Amino acid sequence: MDNKLIIGSPPHVHTRETTARIMWMVTVSLVPAGIGAVVIFGLQALWLTLWSILAAVATEAVIQFLSKSKISIADGSAVLTGLLLAYNIPPNAPFWIPIAGSCFAIAIGKMVFGGLGQNIFNPALVGRAFLMASWPAAMTTFCAPLGKADAVTGATPLAALKEGKIVESLSYLDMLLGLRGGCIGEVCIIALLVGAVFLLIRGYISWHIPVSFIGSTALLMFIFGRQGAFTGDWLFHILNGGLLLGACFMATDYVTSPLTARGQIIFGIGCGVLTAVIRLWGGYPEGVSYAILMMNAATPLIDRYTRKRIYGT
Amino acid sequence: MKTIVNHGLILGMICLVATGLLATVDKATRPRIEAQARLELENSLKDVLPEAVSFEPVTAPENNTLLYYKGLDAARALIGVAFTAQGKGYSSMIETMVGMKPDGTITAIKVLNQNETPGLGSQINEVKTDVTILDVFKGKKPDTARKPWFTEQFSQKEATGLEGVQSITGATISSGAVIDSVKQKSRQIKELLTHG
Amino acid sequence: MAKTNNLFLEFWKGIIKENPTFVLALGLCPTLAVSISVANAVGMGVAATFVLLGSNIMIALLKNFIPDKVRIPCYIVVIATFVTIAELSMKAYSPALNRALGIYVPLIVVNCMVLGRAEAFASKNNVVASILDALGMGVGFTVALILISAIRELLGAGKIAGFVVTKNFAPAAMIAMPSGALLVIGLLLGYFNYLKEKN
Repeated sequence: MDNKLIIGSPPHVHTRETTARIMWMVTVSLVPAGIGAVVIFGLQALWLTLWSILAAVATEAVIQFLSKSKISIADGSAVLTGLLLAYNIPPNAPFWIPIAGSCFAIAIGKMVFGGLGQNIFNPALVGRAFLMASWPAAMTTFCAPLGKADAVTGATPLAALKEGKIVESLSYLDMLLGLRGGCIGEVCIIALLVGAVFLLIRGYISWHIPVSFIGSTALLMFIFGRQGAFTGDWLFHILNGGLLLGACFMATDYVTSPLTARGQIIFGIGCGVLTAVIRLWGGYPEGVSYAILMMNAATPLIDRYTRKRIYGT
Repeated sequence: MKTIVNHGLILGMICLVATGLLATVDKATRPRIEAQARLELENSLKDVLPEAVSFEPVTAPENNTLLYYKGLDAARALIGVAFTAQGKGYSSMIETMVGMKPDGTITAIKVLNQNETPGLGSQINEVKTDVTILDVFKGKKPDTARKPWFTEQFSQKEATGLEGVQSITGATISSGAVIDSVKQKSRQIKELLTHG
Repeated sequence: MAKTNNLFLEFWKGIIKENPTFVLALGLCPTLAVSISVANAVGMGVAATFVLLGSNIMIALLKNFIPDKVRIPCYIVVIATFVTIAELSMKAYSPALNRALGIYVPLIVVNCMVLGRAEAFASKNNVVASILDALGMGVGFTVALILISAIRELLGAGKIAGFVVTKNFAPAAMIAMPSGALLVIGLLLGYFNYLKEKN
């Protein structure tokens, strides 16, 4: 009898889930939004996305090679960072914008902290913040969707709103389909919803952050309406800007968001309130990325106060 | 008690020597500092009203504060006025010297003081140059006569309207501060010229 | 021979081994603020070196005269005197530089590098050693400032020593902002620490 006693340390039950598998699944869930962007804005959106992913992967490989550590580009995290960064830039940006942003995102946003799992801030958003601060003109000039030349060019609906213009020519259906000016990955709401539902059903993300994030932004936008209290067009604010992309795909990043359900709700409400405050009273028309970055900084604190106590302590 | 007095005396002595030293340095540098300030003022007046030969300060009769400078030609006829305008920019008070003809057309403006974001707001006072460092090595002289393109736009415009002056991309607050402060101050000065 | 060698070491340590910016991390406030262009960096470096030299000489001379309990106010008075002299002469001879450096010239008074050298070195050593220490620290500070500002000027404004590098380069404005200063200093500090550990 070959009855060997196997001795190992727990956990003994493994799932098939690995970091790499999760990263690739999130990447796959973002593909519909990318296809939507290519349909809406043309092939330039695809080229920018590919440049961004290529630069992110190359930066990670070069840094890991130089620091003589294991090259882990196959885990998909760099691909995801590059993809998310590309989704945060205008479709008519020059090609070097995603390259510079991805290099910065990976090098400063991730690798200087020690690589995947060590970073405090969402790398893609670090890259976006860098691009916004460095080349504001290239990052805030938007082209109109193909075949919609009569639309407001050079500004997103949120930017037009900030300047006091009223966006009338845009129906809710247009917004849902993404027929508006905006960043590559944020416009096609319906495709983003498909991806988010896929992640939710498969359990890769939980509902806590997206629901509390979007809910609190919508609530505040409704309360502080332009025609007085409780008149705000909350649906407009959900369908515009990067709220859905940010709430479902970036705020839910495992590394930079709280661990417990309670912490995640606090995190989501914080993001939502900050987004609404920036949209209402801030200098920028859109605040999702800065809201998430600010709450990323608060994540260790939230984790500390919402940690489940170990039984008996 | 004795040590406190003692220590106080020593500290006092050091302060006394320091004060004496500073008084001497101040006395030595004061005329030069004043000369520099005068020179700078003269230069900026000349920059905004190049045709004027001499300048005369005009003060408010009631409290002697400076209102503007009259620019006079060789025959001592008024060819324009120069005044400073201040506007709150993004991160600093932007002070400009404005030259204006009696009919209200701007001759030129010059930024005197600003501390705006480098690369963005600071462009209000930056010269666009085509001369690269390689050209300098090849022996090409950097173009020093050039004026900042943003302030250059103000020349020959109607001072209270300033139509056609373009803001700097990404620096609308700084540009707006200059445009609005120049407009506003020009209106005041024009009022003074016609009624006062 | 051994003596001159020692004195040379007093000078040399400020540039590499005890560089005030990259190793001691002293006086970072003016470093962050004025390292936008190389011209500013040189001006600030020279002014700080002058103050450092003056205060180190005076404090080394007065070290037996100044009572221990009131030494900090005495040092500050000495430093403030030299800062004011530096500021007045800068106003008289180089008003443009004075405007570019702005508030950071008077703020040399609270540059902890100056007080730090007075307290840690000049109050315990003779005049000659203090002069060399001041010169070494001053040069080290200036070199660090020039290094940081050269990087920031190149990346943040696309210029080298005030000249545009090429027409087709869109500089990253963030590097010229305060956040860029923190980033560049942080990365350089990390790099110098890495070099130190490697040795």
